Amino acid sequence: MATPDDARETPYARAIPRPTAGPLVAAFGVAMLFAGIVTNVGASVVGAVALVFGGVIWFREVMPDEAVEPIEATGGQTVVTPPPLPARDAPSRRLLLPVEIHPYRAGLVGGLAGGAAMAVVAAAWGLVEHGSVWLPINLLAGAVNPGMAAMGEPELAAFDGGWIAIAVGIHAALSIMTGLLFTVALPMMPRRPMLFGVVVAPVILSSLSWSTMGIVNPAMEEFISWPWFVGSQIAFGAVCGAVISRVEKVPTMAALSTSERLGIEQSEVGS
Amino acid sequence: MTTLPTTPAETVADRRAEPLSARLHLWAITVDHKRLGIMYVLSGLVFFLVGGLEASAMRAQLARPGNDLVSPEVFNQLFTMHGTTMVFLVGMPVLLGMGNYLIPLMIGARDMAFPRLNAFGFWLFLFGGLLLYYSYIGAQGLYGTSAAPDVGWFAYAPLTDRTFSRGNSTDYWILGIMVSGFGSIATGANLVATILCMRCRGMTLMRMPLMAWMMLVVGVLVLTALGPLTAAQVMLLFDRNLGAHFFDPQEGGSAILWQHFFWFFGHPEVYILILPAFGFVSEIVPTFSRKVIFGYPLMVAATVGIGFISLSVWAHHMFAVGLGPVLDAFFSAMTFMIAVPTGIKIFNWIGTMWGGRIRFASPMLFATGFVAMFVIGGLTGIMLAMVPFDWQVSDSYFVVGHFHYVLFGGTIFAIFGALHYWYPKAVGRMLNETIAKWSFWLLFAGFNLTFFPMHISGLLGMPRRIYTFQPDRGLELWNLLSTAGVPLQAAGVLLIVWNLLRSHRKGAIAGNDPWDAWTLEWATTSPPPEHNFDEPPTVGSRRPLWDLKHPEDPDGRYE
Repeated sequence: MATPDDARETPYARAIPRPTAGPLVAAFGVAMLFAGIVTNVGASVVGAVALVFGGVIWFREVMPDEAVEPIEATGGQTVVTPPPLPARDAPSRRLLLPVEIHPYRAGLVGGLAGGAAMAVVAAAWGLVEHGSVWLPINLLAGAVNPGMAAMGEPELAAFDGGWIAIAVGIHAALSIMTGLLFTVALPMMPRRPMLFGVVVAPVILSSLSWSTMGIVNPAMEEFISWPWFVGSQIAFGAVCGAVISRVEKVPTMAALSTSERLGIEQSEVGS
Repeated sequence: MTTLPTTPAETVADRRAEPLSARLHLWAITVDHKRLGIMYVLSGLVFFLVGGLEASAMRAQLARPGNDLVSPEVFNQLFTMHGTTMVFLVGMPVLLGMGNYLIPLMIGARDMAFPRLNAFGFWLFLFGGLLLYYSYIGAQGLYGTSAAPDVGWFAYAPLTDRTFSRGNSTDYWILGIMVSGFGSIATGANLVATILCMRCRGMTLMRMPLMAWMMLVVGVLVLTALGPLTAAQVMLLFDRNLGAHFFDPQEGGSAILWQHFFWFFGHPEVYILILPAFGFVSEIVPTFSRKVIFGYPLMVAATVGIGFISLSVWAHHMFAVGLGPVLDAFFSAMTFMIAVPTGIKIFNWIGTMWGGRIRFASPMLFATGFVAMFVIGGLTGIMLAMVPFDWQVSDSYFVVGHFHYVLFGGTIFAIFGALHYWYPKAVGRMLNETIAKWSFWLLFAGFNLTFFPMHISGLLGMPRRIYTFQPDRGLELWNLLSTAGVPLQAAGVLLIVWNLLRSHRKGAIAGNDPWDAWTLEWATTSPPPEHNFDEPPTVGSRRPLWDLKHPEDPDGRYE
């Protein structure tokens, strides 16, 4: 049965457009037209004439019928020579890597769980050392508000709904992103996932934070307690790593079609 | 299933038999997408050499403190013309030219949708560029002498006001870029129409090469972003010549308005310059890893996602203006967000390499270099997305280092990779691999030597666009290192140019498919005939040549 695709004529299927000087002359005209503004009005006049002239040439190329040249096919030459590969008897089993991965869902959940653990440690620090759970939250919001560096401790220790919303957004986004990174990184050390979560990742993240905190978040730099900060990173790594490593790995679906990956049920062709 | 296209025999010998004047005439009046693509790339490379010379002069001036190799006025012209040239006369034309050459071949079409508009676009770009450079001869500067534009590639108001920019050098900047921009808009529209309407049978959107997806999004971005810039340039022209006050704060205008207009173009422009590079790498990495691209649907989604998000991040260039906490937070968040689809791409390229049988031929070297350099540029971009950090390093050499890692380490490395990959298709001869590898390593070493120290000099407080610097500020070593990298880069670039010229005559015959690749352009002769394919092809998967070479194991069942 004919399909709309069969009925469609490929553009320039039988002939290709004929070369023409129209576009070149018209473009020269446009450039000269504008060049006259900074040189001499005569240049603009020349440009206008060239633009009209080029436009006429162009117009006559496409109206009433497009000027084309026939295709000179030399005919029948096979273009591609397949490489000398040994013939295979049956469809191959392709090597699809990676074979198994942690599902991204695990990273999402792990990141949120780790983020909650980190928040508990941070809140404990605020309460124990400064008598306020709001201080660490407000300090985190300082990442988008440089003016916080100038605020005093009483203001920073006070409740502020707007800053809480911003801090929660930042913390959730960073936690989820870090959780997703964990899902990618953990298969690289499959024997000791907790080593990565409790030692390697906190060391890397703490070092990164230590070296950049002064410029990323000056307000937090002023108040931060590094032992507590490292502790919160360890709490995150331990919880996030534990959650992810407990979730069963899934095989990658690289060998499946898009519809199969999406779980769409297909009816048999022709039925 | 995939059916074979057929093409006529080699035509280079026939063309060389014609007299030079006749051949030049044919090039001048051509509407063939391949010839126009080659002219785009060659013109872009010439401008690249000019822009490189300007950069070299700046680095020579900054080699030591208190230097006076060039005057402050000339230095201002150098950084203005360097930035303008590299963005408008190198990046865009070379990338659009590569798209021009490759897209019809990749989607099995005979030509672009509007061949004459295509030629018009190229000539507008070239004449616009020549008009800009004519300013060196024709423009009148502050003291009535010849003067190139000197207001920076972004031409911030009110510096562009006639009060501060006497003469007409700024008008040359406006007009040259505007004319060139008309050409880019024509090409953008042509790319979109070609990709949506000219695909061969069987090539559904989800079977297109990723390069075609990238160019589709680039076409949309060009249409979206260049219009506002052109409008702003017309307004600026009115301000300077007809007494309007759009950008004059003293008369009720707004200098910030120019920044919004400019960066509404300027940041999508970054993606106009990087998405085609993503496309090149997405074609090169699978071929040289001998694996299908990892996560094709996600790559497509990421590309479209980048296209959308790139339209809502422009004000991260304006954090230092003082937009207020709400806007700062919004644009900061959007900038963080765009890192996600970009990160997906990097992850997928590495996923494609992982477990592959990697061949480090010269295109793959450049593609791998691209991934590494772009990651560094991307990470410093995320640092700059943080408002407090941006406030401290805004307009410093840290930013210069950052965007050169994106646009040189990213875009230019990818362009060179693409040149090495598709040169055999366009010319019919292979580039010399030994020279190619030397040029890569020289460029790689020189690039990092020049641009990595800029991050440090920036953090130490060195402002960008500065003519010279004082001794004893801790900046001497880093500037000297940056300058020391220039000869290495120049040697790398000159080797590439020499290789291109030499191989045109002396290179080994390439054959139709020298890399054992999988997309349609490799199914025709090298170079392709004017009509690309004798018979328009029909494809059954994303890798039609794989299907052809492995009929027992076609790709369609896996897609």
